[in-house]
Amino acid sequence: MTFYEKEINRINDIIYSNQEQIKTVIEIRSYIDNNYNSDLNLDLLSHFHFVSKYHLLRLFKKHYGLTPRQYLIDKRIEKSKEQLIKGTSVTETCFIVGFESLGSFSTLFKTKTGKSPTRFQKEQLSRSKLHSEF
Amino acid sequence: MKVTLISIPVRDQEKALRFYTEKLGFIKKKDKPLDGGNRWLTLVSKEAQDGPEVLLEPAPNHFEPSKIYQDALMEAGIPYTQFDVDNVDFEYERLIKLGVKFSVKPSTMGTTKYAVFNDTCGNNIEIVEEL
Repeated sequence: MTFYEKEINRINDIIYSNQEQIKTVIEIRSYIDNNYNSDLNLDLLSHFHFVSKYHLLRLFKKHYGLTPRQYLIDKRIEKSKEQLIKGTSVTETCFIVGFESLGSFSTLFKTKTGKSPTRFQKEQLSRSKLHSEF
Repeated sequence: MKVTLISIPVRDQEKALRFYTEKLGFIKKKDKPLDGGNRWLTLVSKEAQDGPEVLLEPAPNHFEPSKIYQDALMEAGIPYTQFDVDNVDFEYERLIKLGVKFSVKPSTMGTTKYAVFNDTCGNNIEIVEEL
């Protein structure tokens, strides 16, 4: 066994001994992945898993390094890119991926990607046009 | 400041280019000739061609400490670089069929599934899937 494997096993035993806990956070992440476009909140998530809201928040952060809310926002931004590339309008995209206001969607999108949704879409579309003409 | 590049030290750039494109599925992005047959050689992921580039740099051939460090990592089984995949088991099966050698088979640690293979250019590379 290599040094790397020994270390991994050692750390695994210390940090990841609670399999139940890991199963719970994996289920929560997968729930967010499948329901990112609906009105998710911690109360709802904790209700499903019979754990307190704060416990759930701590668990998720411990295992994924992000809060469920941060994870959800990243997921929605990732999905909105897919929609914009497909040619869906900015307004439609905003609601399809679960944001409630166009303003907060545009601001978040710009913060996360460095571009506004409109600019991102224009660049993607002009790029696909270039391929065929250039 | 933006993150646009990660470096992987390789002993043979041409061999590395073939391994990373033909087996791993990366796409060549930049290839500029440099002094002494060396190249500025970068790759991008097929799924994110405007994403960060991987630089295959011949550092171990020109800077002894780089070679020593690379050898020590290899000896200890430590992957210094990791790539995200959608499905570790699937990639493992796919790469095994292409003759890639794994030092760690698909395993789970907490919420992460991972496996480690040899890139034939001096490095252990880890593939990771978040569960």
